[in-house]
Amino acid sequence: MSALVAEGLNTFYGKSHILHDVGLTVAEGRITTLLGRNGAGKTTTLRSLVGLTPPRTGRVTIFGQDTTRFAPFAVAALGVGYVPEGRRIFPNLTVEENLRVPLERPGNWSVARVYEVFPRLAERRQNRGRQLSGGEQEMLAIARALLLNPRLLILDEPSQGLAPLIVRDVFRIVAGMRTEGMSVLLVEQNVRMSLEIADDAYVLENGAVVYAGTAAQLTGDEARIRALAGATAEDWAFDERAA
Amino acid sequence: MTELLLFNVTNGLIIGAFYVLMALGLSLILNLSGVINFAHGGFLALGGYIAFTMQPFIGFWGALLLAPVLVAVLGLLLERTMIRRLYGRDPLYSLLLTFGLAFILQDFTRYVWGANGLPFTVPAFLAAPISDQLFFVTWYRLFMVAVVAIAVGGLFLFLRYTRTGVRIRAGTLDLETVSVLGVNVGGLRAYNFALGIFLAGLAGVLASGQLSLVPNMGDSLLMPSFVAIIVGGVGSLPGTLLGGLLIGLASGLVTLFWPSAADAVIYVIMAIVLLLRPRGLLGEEGMLG
Repeated sequence: MSALVAEGLNTFYGKSHILHDVGLTVAEGRITTLLGRNGAGKTTTLRSLVGLTPPRTGRVTIFGQDTTRFAPFAVAALGVGYVPEGRRIFPNLTVEENLRVPLERPGNWSVARVYEVFPRLAERRQNRGRQLSGGEQEMLAIARALLLNPRLLILDEPSQGLAPLIVRDVFRIVAGMRTEGMSVLLVEQNVRMSLEIADDAYVLENGAVVYAGTAAQLTGDEARIRALAGATAEDWAFDERAA
Repeated sequence: MTELLLFNVTNGLIIGAFYVLMALGLSLILNLSGVINFAHGGFLALGGYIAFTMQPFIGFWGALLLAPVLVAVLGLLLERTMIRRLYGRDPLYSLLLTFGLAFILQDFTRYVWGANGLPFTVPAFLAAPISDQLFFVTWYRLFMVAVVAIAVGGLFLFLRYTRTGVRIRAGTLDLETVSVLGVNVGGLRAYNFALGIFLAGLAGVLASGQLSLVPNMGDSLLMPSFVAIIVGGVGSLPGTLLGGLLIGLASGLVTLFWPSAADAVIYVIMAIVLLLRPRGLLGEEGMLG
């Protein structure tokens, strides 16, 4: 069974048609990455999948259930962890309080285990969200989603705005989720690193899927990757440092 | 002179305590649901009237506990059937709806209990003055302040230490993220709405023991409560607490020196705060910040 299947999604913001017949599949126990340049519709796709911006037409099936018209909390309750773009930490709450917000489904992940895996969060448990660094906020956003004990983890640009060393950490954590038996859907701008850890890949352009296949196959397509990253490999490495 | 001053200070504190109860409920609802509840004063009056009707059967203490609960249940019903349909729309819609509900509630109380003031008796030991020197301060006045302090303290503990309370504070800033974390935000808003109405009902029962019961008794509290929220800073419950006490005390003190300005002074305070610090006194901090 697939963790998630989306078929023919057409999503609108008001009158503007953002997603055009988007379809994708997240296989169980695999990491699927969704790539594309700014404004390609990646975040909108994720929002359509978790119920925040329901598609006008099309169907979303998660673990065999039609969730197209589910409210976001009902999608989450099926075991879908979502790490939103920009992390969306609650700035007025402490780390400890941020971790009390999610619904706690039974499973391996508990607050104690989160503190074990992210010792930095344990140190800062009394600090407020707004006092954390970008990397710490990302850890907190991931930890918060893990407390749901998700079967499917959806991440929207977790590397955004982080220092390269921290980005490595984040990708290592995401890759580790596969060994936990989780299925992962990863949206990223960091094309090369996403392809390193992903099994399957999709590329979005102007709200439509233009590539669907394995990550390995896409890695071999240097021209496409260059177009996606907007630069050569060397320039990309430089861009990363500048960010 | 000292006695007069003391009298006005206690008056100011008591009126401030009522502003605080009203304003905290309004603030909770405004922060999580984006609804300015103009019917809040109607719920307050209803709390007083229900307590009045129940008192012969279950006594003062029973009425004090039960009447706010019943008002909260009514609030919950109205939220589930009407108000929730307007979440996420232009705030004007919910404003019109609650404005209409305010009239309906007031006319309902007038229809059932009549337009004339009704006496609400408090236990004899509470009605007695504290001492011969402080003949103007009854035990009931102290009692009101104590009950408000307990309610406010309880609310703040609830918001800080319970999971639901933490979620309410999280939802104040980012309800969407609360929802993707698996929380039914419709239920959270309903619960929060009922909590706010409970505080209004409690204020109504307490006020009935001090003033007489009239259908529009909430009206004179509603505008100052909005002022308290603005002075304290929208989004900050400690700010609302501070704002309510501040304008209550200020109007109490001004009554002593210039009685006709007592109502105006709170708007003067609001104007000064808005000029010097448009966010309100504690507006910059998050809730419980």
